[in-house]
Amino acid sequence: MSETNYAYAHPEVLVSTEWLAEHLEAPDTRIVESNEDVLLYSTGHIPGAVHIDWRDDLQDPLVRDYIEPETFAALCAKNGITPETTVIFYGDKSNWWACYALWAFRLFGHTKVKLVDGGRDKWVKEGRALTKEKPQPAMAEYPAPAKRFDADIRAFYDDALAQSQEGLPLIDVRSPGEFRGEITHMPEYPQEGVLRGGHIPGAKSVPWKTAVREDGTFKPATELAGIYAVGCELKSDENIIAYCRIGERSSHTWFVLTYLLGYEKVRNYDGSWTEWGNRVRAPIERS
Amino acid sequence: MSDYPPKLTAIIALFESLPEEEKRENLIAYSEQAKKHEPKPGEAFDLEDVRKDEECTDTVGVFLRVDADKGAHFRITLGPQVQTLTKAMTSILCKGLDGATLDEIMALPADFVPKIVGGQLVRIRSQTVYYILTRMKGAVKVFLNRLRAAQG
Repeated sequence: MSETNYAYAHPEVLVSTEWLAEHLEAPDTRIVESNEDVLLYSTGHIPGAVHIDWRDDLQDPLVRDYIEPETFAALCAKNGITPETTVIFYGDKSNWWACYALWAFRLFGHTKVKLVDGGRDKWVKEGRALTKEKPQPAMAEYPAPAKRFDADIRAFYDDALAQSQEGLPLIDVRSPGEFRGEITHMPEYPQEGVLRGGHIPGAKSVPWKTAVREDGTFKPATELAGIYAVGCELKSDENIIAYCRIGERSSHTWFVLTYLLGYEKVRNYDGSWTEWGNRVRAPIERS
Repeated sequence: MSDYPPKLTAIIALFESLPEEEKRENLIAYSEQAKKHEPKPGEAFDLEDVRKDEECTDTVGVFLRVDADKGAHFRITLGPQVQTLTKAMTSILCKGLDGATLDEIMALPADFVPKIVGGQLVRIRSQTVYYILTRMKGAVKVFLNRLRAAQG
């Protein structure tokens, strides 16, 4: 499906900007933009794309958790998405939030997903069309999923603690300064409310950015394998947990490990450092 | 409301009267005006502060000119990665604080930001909306310190 598959494990999940430009009106597809910049979609977006916000649309407004299956079904229906629709995600910040939204769709069992390699920045830099016209999809039928598949791809505090205690792979995808506990926020962001700095004992530092090139597109599978399979000694049948601060950068790494390298048991710890670094008696390493 | 400079007061009043959707549309309109507040060829400034630091996602330049009545006039440059809300606040503040006195700017509380932006948009990962005001105040403070030092 994409001409830039670089021998990925699941190349059909990654599409290029060129491919998307030629398939803007493909049947049974829906393009979804998900950003960190809350107003960016409204300044112009890929023609036909709908907007799904990581907080307002995917998170429970009260409890720190994701929406319930019924709410997810309503979100999809409103955006013209059925269980048979292939949802193509893209966004700002090298696709952090696009990966987060894609991962959230997978939580509800929606497996027909794709990601635009390089995301919004690449599309814009190539001078491709943007529009302010918001699509008005016809209401679709989306039955509420029977459950959320948290156990398959989502890790909680206790899972991460057990992973640490058993010496199983934990991948910390934050910046090196955050991993070492020298700073408690991303280098270019304000403090986001973490009391302690450091990392989960036993975690390996592999910043998310390691997986991409300067233009935000993913590195070829051979290079990615060198980073994760060789560098981190990740084995294909192992349970792997990735984390960051609130789960968006680790969604990006979850995508790399799951779809580009084909690891089958990867979970994203979305509580991440904003939970761990505030939790009473949570063990912390600094190095 | 009376604590704010008159031009900013008018902008705040406008935003407070708008429903959420129109508020967003106006913020986007302001964000698209941000380039108009860049320095113009031939303009001279009393203070220039161009840097990228940990509070913002790209380089921001603050250019301050102070007129004979101690009124402040700002020009701002923004790097391409700066968020839309930050661009909008740049236009709003350049317009709303134009001609305000240095003392008015230093005394300006940040509590007007949610009144303009709306509570929904001021959230985690959009906190840089406060950044431009901080940088403007920082420039005024440096200017005042230099002025006091020069006056001995």
